[in-house]
Amino acid sequence: MTVHNLYIFDRNGNCLYYNEWNRKKQAGISKEEEYKLMYGMLFSIRSFVSKMSPLDMKDGFLSFQTSKYRLHYYETPTGLKFVMNTDLSVSNARETLQHIYSNLYVEYIVKNPVCVLGNTLDSELFSSRLDAFIRALPYYSPRAA
Amino acid sequence: MADEAPFQFLHSELIQYITKSAESGDTENARNITKLEIMGFRVGQGLIERLTKDTVRFKDELDIMKFICKDFWTCVFKKQIDNLRTNHQGIYVLQDNKFRLLSQLSAGKQYLEQAPKYLAFTCGLVRGALSNLGVKSIVTAEVSVMPACKFQVMIQKM
Repeated sequence: MTVHNLYIFDRNGNCLYYNEWNRKKQAGISKEEEYKLMYGMLFSIRSFVSKMSPLDMKDGFLSFQTSKYRLHYYETPTGLKFVMNTDLSVSNARETLQHIYSNLYVEYIVKNPVCVLGNTLDSELFSSRLDAFIRALPYYSPRAA
Repeated sequence: MADEAPFQFLHSELIQYITKSAESGDTENARNITKLEIMGFRVGQGLIERLTKDTVRFKDELDIMKFICKDFWTCVFKKQIDNLRTNHQGIYVLQDNKFRLLSQLSAGKQYLEQAPKYLAFTCGLVRGALSNLGVKSIVTAEVSVMPACKFQVMIQKM
């Protein structure tokens, strides 16, 4: 029961924030390449999902899973993308990601006059609150399953 | 004061605007802070007129300071001043442990050099309020660990 890592992208594809808690295996490529890969994948999947959907699409792409982890995706109306990898026991992290957006991002980044929107998120306050929030989640445990 | 968010955003924009419109480096910093303080002064004067239109006259200086700490601060920042100290000779120190305009900035030492800009407007606010109540003063602010900050009011005897 655990959260592996979290990415925050802006609407232009720049990675604003990345943090990991329980990542056992690295991707083997540099961080910049990893962010570009992640963003490219998300962009492609979203357009694929909306094109091939057999019914009218309501929310679009929400998550995908493999045999080891699940990736959750949340996009805000302003184009901000929150991506969280957790293990398989977490079925729906949408509210968590929504909470991260409204109670952490908006409070500590948008309302922070020093943080320019579009730059990487430097605020230590945001980092520490996010860290505390993730660790307090009911499905987080320091020892990965 | 209906909602905090518009005031906070407007305040941040105000500081950005003043900082940008004076481009030439660090020597302008004091002038920017003065401009912000003067703006706060005018706002404070008007605000205190509105707030005290139905209140009885104040007995003495200490009463005025207590009014600032309680009602005035509650009106602008939705909380009261946490600690008021005085030496009974015209110096008052108002301490706010969780100053609204700084609490989103950081919790500790990050961005400390930028903090004075965000306090200038409030210093002017207090000075304007006091001036319209008949008290001439100088208000300065200091911050060591955010979001707590101290405002020091020095009363000028006429």
